[in-house]
Amino acid sequence: MRAVWATYTRELRAYFFAPLAYVVLFFFLAVTGVVFINLVGSLVDPRVMAPDPALSYFFRSSWLLLILLAPVLTMRLISEELKSGSIEILMTAPITEGQVVAGKYLAAFTFYASLWLPTLVYAILIARQSEVDWGPVAAGYLGILGIGALLLAVGTFASSMTRSQLVAAMVGVALVFLLFLVGMFEELITNEGMKQALGYVNLWNHIDEFSRGIVDTRHLAYYGTGVLFFLFLATRALEDKKWR
Amino acid sequence: MIEAQNLTRRYGDFTAVHGLSFSLAEGEIVGMLGPNGAGKTTTIRMLTGFLPPTSGRVTVAGKDLVDAPHAARRQLGYLPENVALYNEMRVEEYLAYRARLEGLGRAETREAIGDAVDRCLLTDVRRQIIGTLSKGYRQRVGLATAILHKPSVLILDEPTVGLDPKQIIAIRELIRELGRERTLLLSTHILPEVELLCDRVMIIDRGRIVAEGTPESLRDTQVGNPSVRILLKDAPAAGEALAALPGVLSARAGAAEGGWIVEHERGTDLREAVFRAAVAQGWVLLEMTRARASLEDVFVRLTTHDVAASSVNEEPAEASEAPEPSEPAEPGAEEIPS
Repeated sequence: MRAVWATYTRELRAYFFAPLAYVVLFFFLAVTGVVFINLVGSLVDPRVMAPDPALSYFFRSSWLLLILLAPVLTMRLISEELKSGSIEILMTAPITEGQVVAGKYLAAFTFYASLWLPTLVYAILIARQSEVDWGPVAAGYLGILGIGALLLAVGTFASSMTRSQLVAAMVGVALVFLLFLVGMFEELITNEGMKQALGYVNLWNHIDEFSRGIVDTRHLAYYGTGVLFFLFLATRALEDKKWR
Repeated sequence: MIEAQNLTRRYGDFTAVHGLSFSLAEGEIVGMLGPNGAGKTTTIRMLTGFLPPTSGRVTVAGKDLVDAPHAARRQLGYLPENVALYNEMRVEEYLAYRARLEGLGRAETREAIGDAVDRCLLTDVRRQIIGTLSKGYRQRVGLATAILHKPSVLILDEPTVGLDPKQIIAIRELIRELGRERTLLLSTHILPEVELLCDRVMIIDRGRIVAEGTPESLRDTQVGNPSVRILLKDAPAAGEALAALPGVLSARAGAAEGGWIVEHERGTDLREAVFRAAVAQGWVLLEMTRARASLEDVFVRLTTHDVAASSVNEEPAEASEAPEPSEPAEPGAEEIPS
């Protein structure tokens, strides 16, 4: 546990000391800001039917951002160590591959969560003007954290496979894309068993309900197993590096 | 303190290390020599647990590296060939992170950092960001990392490569000091360094140990007969007279006008006889040097694989220039005949 904590704090520090963090933060807030302005515009326009709950539009439009955001946040995690060779000095310390992956992943997740923190301002702004039902807002954030957790795990796995950050980002984006695309295949397939299996993997099925304010533990279980699965793959990929 | 049994490592079809076995006693400084690609780094990576061996086992202070990896690694300090650090951290922060990784407590950490910083002469750069440090300082931060948790075995892979002469001397001083209290394995291809620092030498070539022993014993057993190099003036027929001296095996003309290389039997000193012969014959003796075989001769002889090996061996001066031309002159370099 101490080894995980040591890795976690170092990695988190690395996030906040690198320029990448602020570039990401800037664009992230710019995009969510534009979304928010549009949302407010539609809320005050009597001709537009306001989405219900009001913020669901905000959450739903943010997912697409995550396709790019998650792999960019995680591309550095393990690739950089592989490239610089610091992996050698790290893996000869009393720490396991699993602990390294866990520490790094948790740092990425913490940074990701902190990106969303400023967006609470939007909810507060709306609350000052009208009634806000905080339940659906909390559910929306839970969904955001859930899908983020999954996509970051995918990105961590991508980063563990290559020493190039660029390749890690591209593989990460491709994998995340694939997870979204599976949803399209689901519509095209007639085989009932296959359809169910794909339906379970389909990200769309898991993210939509949260933004409408519904918390279903099945979706949380989906995110949880997905995270564990990809972190397991990342650990194995890191262990495999020894054999080549 | 550290023991390797039958270490073998294959990369696909290529066998980098073939059944290496050796052990280091407590407090010993052992040098590992070998040409590039001999399997030194692979061996070291197996000793530190970074690479699992294809077969064979390693125990550190009695703990098996596979069965008790954490306990064994705690006893190990490692400076890799390529010292990769986290460039955005400050020296102190980095050491604190490493200490936490090694499982040191809060008070222990503070003490360990203070000690490592003092010993590795990092006091001036404690608060500096690692990315801004020069190569020599980075190397010292790497070394501080290796000794932070007071391991009983230190493994240093080419610790002085890429440093300036002053830094090399400082690092060697530190290595010697560290070697007094712990077992130390030093990999290098800088031969004077080995002669200066090591109690024992292992020469590795193509994944096998080809020679092992103290630097002196290697010099004595591995290279041919000793010789004396002389430079004479006004001595047209010196060759026969030299060859006739007692104990002389052969006398060859050297490269320079009037230069001779006189090979003689082991265990004798020919210089006095040469001097008396010169006096008796009326030669002017300009120079006389005893050409002792250096570790470089041993090294070249053992690790050269083509027919040229034997001729290189007869001409130590040539051989000593070949492997490390950039090496600055050091006390140990006086061994090299020139």
